[in-house]
Amino acid sequence: MWERDGWRAELRAANALAIKQWQVELSYPLSILWFIVMPFLWFIPMLLAGTAVTGSAESSALEGLIGSGDWISYIAIGSAYSGLAISLIWGSGFTLRREQNVGTLETLMTTPMSKNTLVWGSTIHNIQHGGLGVVLQLGASVLLFGVNLNLWGVFPALGVIALSIIGMQGLVLIVVCTVILAKQGWMILEMLSSTLFLVAPMSYPIAVLPIYLQYVSVASPLTWSVEAFRGFLMEGLAFSGVINAIIALIILDVIFIILGVVLFRRTERYVRGKGALSQF
Amino acid sequence: MDWSAARIFGMKNLTIAMRYPSNWIIWAFMPILWFAPFILMATAIAGPSSTHFTELSGFSDYIQFCVIGWFVYMFLDNSIWAIGNNFRWEQFSGTLEPLFSTPVPRISILLGAAFSDTALCIIQSSVLLSISMVMFGVTYSLTAILPTIIILTVMVIALYGFSFMVAGLILVFKDPSVLTELVSNATYVVSPVQYPIQTLPSGVRFLAYLIPTTIGIITVREIAITGVFDLVTFVQVLLGLAVLGLLFWALGIASFRYAEKWTKSRGHMGGF
Repeated sequence: MWERDGWRAELRAANALAIKQWQVELSYPLSILWFIVMPFLWFIPMLLAGTAVTGSAESSALEGLIGSGDWISYIAIGSAYSGLAISLIWGSGFTLRREQNVGTLETLMTTPMSKNTLVWGSTIHNIQHGGLGVVLQLGASVLLFGVNLNLWGVFPALGVIALSIIGMQGLVLIVVCTVILAKQGWMILEMLSSTLFLVAPMSYPIAVLPIYLQYVSVASPLTWSVEAFRGFLMEGLAFSGVINAIIALIILDVIFIILGVVLFRRTERYVRGKGALSQF
Repeated sequence: MDWSAARIFGMKNLTIAMRYPSNWIIWAFMPILWFAPFILMATAIAGPSSTHFTELSGFSDYIQFCVIGWFVYMFLDNSIWAIGNNFRWEQFSGTLEPLFSTPVPRISILLGAAFSDTALCIIQSSVLLSISMVMFGVTYSLTAILPTIIILTVMVIALYGFSFMVAGLILVFKDPSVLTELVSNATYVVSPVQYPIQTLPSGVRFLAYLIPTTIGIITVREIAITGVFDLVTFVQVLLGLAVLGLLFWALGIASFRYAEKWTKSRGHMGGF
């Protein structure tokens, strides 16, 4: 007999939502093509631009900044992680809006599951979606572009992803609040995500950012996630910044998840109070 | 061709756009957040200057190179996202079927949308160029203004054909985001916006030259940065753009007509 409350029931509900999202996505063949091709279309311009300015696979400038001149691996790993982050921020951020567009939001809101579970269900789908994209892109990068990965760092890197999801979920909940308040929130989300990605060390170390942006960068969970993820995949268990990255990530995870949950509860209650949940 | 209908449709779009100024003003600033990572990456891996880049491209300043590339690229982006998606927006508003049941030639509706979106794009790209010049401290030759206007005019007309093709694809496939992203990103990869065209493999270079913005970017960049104007090359460029324009217009109109017929015969016109 299934229980209707408790964390197991919420997990089942989230899982069902994730499966539903997969079924919808897979019924549009173009989505599958997009999923396979897009990670490369994001990475290849960086690879070409890098080739144009360096002319080789090694960079003495980068070696001076981070201790390694392998810029292709540096950018490939950062770019792969950014695919996962984009999937989470955009995919999960628009959960409620997507349900609103198809007319199922109010129905879902009247079910006995927690409102947060709606967003978590989407997050589970996007972790799988983004995670597959990371594997695909890194695999192809190793085979086609000569990217070097330290296999000892794979499991710790997966651990970093698991840890970063908490902070990312906090960010996602903040994005969801923006979307349900602003309705057509894609512009705000575009600005927010573009700024987050600008200050995150996806394809350059934060040392090249202007100083005021470096402060913003260290306050973002994305920064420490990418640094740790890449550090483990490039240096393996010898990654020197592991302690700083993990401590910073844990602190930011706690801050962002609390902020996200509190804001989401208040915003959802406010929008429901105004009767604006189904408004376009 | 009904020019009156095209003008009215264009004015309608512009009126709606003016009611939501933030919708289009923001696109004057947003591209800075997209190309800044490339500039930062180039600084990180090549330092403040790159002899390899200078040898490959003929230009010494990567930032100057990128900014003008984005200025011209905005017109291609606009032709895909704005013009190409126009009918999708009509569909969301519930006005697509009434529009298609009017006795107005479809080309008039497409051109009307193209005119209004081009007007907005000119404002957006000019603001982007001005802000980037101030922010990054880059300058361009003033003598490039008139040749740039001429090249952009011919290029934009050629791009309209490309937009008609995208509009047809969206009528058929419905979901604009995935298809538009694919087309937009694929054309971006082969366009010499962030890197010289010599960086692309030779087979891909040929594909790149089939997109009108490639010729536009290369020529405008050359004139704007060096200030050197060669009449023979200029006329060759205009002829090349004209040929591409004829090709894209023929393909665009044919594919749009086919897409419309295909969609109508399946009763999908208003469907999602």
